[in-house]
Amino acid sequence: MLGFRIAKRQEPLQWGSFFIFFAALAFSLGVSCLLLALQGKPFMHALYLLWDGAFAHGYSLEATALKTIPIFLCSLGVAVCFRMQVWNIGAEGQYALGTIGATWAVLTFPDMPAWALLPLMFVCAAFLGALWAAIPAYLRLRFDLNEIISTLMFNYIGILLLEFLVYGVWKDPASFGFPMTVIFPDSAVIGSLFGRIHWGVVVCVVVGMALSVFLKRTRLGFELMAGGENARAARYARMPYNFLVMLVMAMCGALAGWAGLIETSATLNRLQPNVVVGYGYTAIVVAWLARLRITSIALFSILLAGLRVGVENLQLELQVPAAFAGIMQGLLLIAVLAGQFFNWYEVKRIPRIDASGIAADGEGKQV
Amino acid sequence: MSEREIMNKRVNRNAFEHLPPLVRLEHICKSFGKVRANHDITLDIRPGMIKALLGENGAGKSTLMSILSGRFSQTSGSIFVDGNPERFESPRDAIRAGIGMVYQHFMLVESMTVAQNVLLGQERTFVVSPARMEAEVSELAERYGLPINPAARVCDLSMGEKQRVEILKLLYRDSRVLILDEPTAVLTPTETEQLFEAMWRMADQGKSIVFISHKLKEVLAVSDEIAILRKGEIVDEFHESDVPNETVLANRMVGRDVVLSIEAEPVKTGGVVLDITNLSGDGMESLNLTLRKGEVMAIAGVAGNGQKELVEVICGLRRPVSGRVDILGLEWNRFYPRPPRKGKSLAYIPEDRQGLATCKYLDLVDNFLLTTRHAFARGPFLDRKAATETTVQIIEEFNVQPGHIDGTARSLSGGNLQKLVIGREFFRRPDIIVAENPTQGLDIAATEEVWQRLLQARKRAGILLITSELNEALQLADYIAVMYRGRFMDVFHKSDTAKVDAIGLMMAGVTSPAAV
Repeated sequence: MLGFRIAKRQEPLQWGSFFIFFAALAFSLGVSCLLLALQGKPFMHALYLLWDGAFAHGYSLEATALKTIPIFLCSLGVAVCFRMQVWNIGAEGQYALGTIGATWAVLTFPDMPAWALLPLMFVCAAFLGALWAAIPAYLRLRFDLNEIISTLMFNYIGILLLEFLVYGVWKDPASFGFPMTVIFPDSAVIGSLFGRIHWGVVVCVVVGMALSVFLKRTRLGFELMAGGENARAARYARMPYNFLVMLVMAMCGALAGWAGLIETSATLNRLQPNVVVGYGYTAIVVAWLARLRITSIALFSILLAGLRVGVENLQLELQVPAAFAGIMQGLLLIAVLAGQFFNWYEVKRIPRIDASGIAADGEGKQV
Repeated sequence: MSEREIMNKRVNRNAFEHLPPLVRLEHICKSFGKVRANHDITLDIRPGMIKALLGENGAGKSTLMSILSGRFSQTSGSIFVDGNPERFESPRDAIRAGIGMVYQHFMLVESMTVAQNVLLGQERTFVVSPARMEAEVSELAERYGLPINPAARVCDLSMGEKQRVEILKLLYRDSRVLILDEPTAVLTPTETEQLFEAMWRMADQGKSIVFISHKLKEVLAVSDEIAILRKGEIVDEFHESDVPNETVLANRMVGRDVVLSIEAEPVKTGGVVLDITNLSGDGMESLNLTLRKGEVMAIAGVAGNGQKELVEVICGLRRPVSGRVDILGLEWNRFYPRPPRKGKSLAYIPEDRQGLATCKYLDLVDNFLLTTRHAFARGPFLDRKAATETTVQIIEEFNVQPGHIDGTARSLSGGNLQKLVIGREFFRRPDIIVAENPTQGLDIAATEEVWQRLLQARKRAGILLITSELNEALQLADYIAVMYRGRFMDVFHKSDTAKVDAIGLMMAGVTSPAAV
């Protein structure tokens, strides 16, 4: 014993949890600095570059905002699944299928006017994304197949399917062999709202608000919450548990699909393999950091998008490898999750026992 | 539980009389926030004595014993072991001081053997020989009269045997004070007697035993000293020589006069609400049952004889394997999985209030909405305002304490949670009520209230009462079915006194009352 002990708090921390978050953030940045210092990089300068690249200028803010959009949509979907205690980590694959759905609509009906084509793209992206999520959901319900494994595997299949298409039938003949489709017609491109920011932001706001109302105000939302709290009680109360599992998975698939659609249409204007950059995995981090709350998801999406953009700046200026963003993201998640321990537990000094000399002596030696 | 009188078989009750107390609690107070769970409690635990701690639910028995066994630390006051002050920071400290507790929910590794469970964490050498372990456990079991096969896997044991393993774990750790929290709740009458004999034997060898209970008969039969807790304070202490009768004890416990039996005026019976013909499978054997509106049918029996499976079939959580189940005139397949929303309904009050009937981290309104949500659905939306108002009404009507609707279900005691569940299920105006051990773990006052509510509900519903408490069946039921190993031993009206007298035997599987 070190003269300290760990005790459970009677009440979880309220405001102190903010402090815990910032301490965890500082800790993860500290470890990141240590890693940079080990490579001989000027770490204080690196921190400045990180900030500068992500949030300091209009241009960097725009870049952060653009990355926030797909991360936010994927995170919402993941969070809804996690609320039901359905561990869908397949947002990445569902995102890939969304891009495929949207591109199929564009390549099949290239001459449609925008008012018809864009909604069709949204429908196709949502449908394919939802389908990609519904298959593991069905496998879980019917055959008890663990959805963590199946959704993860479906990510690889989905991404390979995307590559199969852009390397094959969908390849632009004029691309000099590069794996990419033709540039989308203007009618298939989500337009800009201001600057580089496109209408995808509005989609995020609408989806966020609708989801919030859905979860808080509707009967199905209530059933989702109760089902996530206690699956046995949900069955007892005759909630359609299987339907709810399918529903959350399909919702997540549709949202991730939309993220893929928006990224393809608004940012790249065509489908190419590098549309898949791990937003679906970042979404898992965001959902956990935000503890599955919608407003917090918005904040953490911005933060982690900023981290991605900022590390790009580091890459350019300090020749830090690209994987560094992943390392920092992982550090932050682990630090915050570990920090949540202090929400429920506290470390106390062991009081001296006056009546017994041995105990006091023993403590004297240890401290 | 048993109708037979229990004879106290202590042999040397007074052998340790002259010794000082093993453990002394002095002015123990414990508060959880504003709630005062224990206040100024002073208690001696003496060697060779069985001390009963009697009190209603929420009286503070469990809190006090959790302090003694190191799970909580007291807000103020001191604990003396052998006259020396001690402070327990964890159960480990308490076990080191020789104090151990057997909780209601056993903490055993199901896939390991009895001997492995007993020695878990106590292996003295790196390599342990199974034969030596088993011999050691056998010897210990022999000494204290706890017969058990040390090589058996825990998952194959009955509840009574598992309890013995828990006790052996404490004895192996040289515990001198054994705290047993409601140990008889899960036992058959025979197992209960065996436990009592083991308790006397342990006490005869100088162990102190603290016996937490609210079953007066058992407390009177088994203990040497009785301490009564009420609202966190000790209101009375009796020694074996001056213990008053049951009624006085009960009154001291609740602080007012209680009626231990209630008058069940018969109600006019109506049509058949539940009809079961030849239900078999899942451990059940050709069960036949007919329940009418206005009746209470009690299914008596020791837990684990197929009652759970029967309830699950009736409540739609399990598909009948063979036989016919008609609920409110509809066949099982038509009633489930989507029971009609309007008019005909079945309410299930499960035994597992915390795990099945409620979500412990949700507030009372959400828990109220759990089964009543369809009544508050407006299109796809939920009318939370109306639900909140109704919850407040129900809380008032059923006297749920503390009735803060923002509090979580976890913050309610067992009895109050049960009242909330009953209020919620009655709100649906059910035609069938399936109540599974509805008063288990409740104190006398709450039990009485639940009984009254069930009897009132007969006016509009048929009630299927599954109970392992004989008294409960006798108090409430019109008809009693005794269940043993998946079969009904007999179904009879409660006026059939010959059969009523034989219920205890039937629960143990003895077929013909004539054979007695």
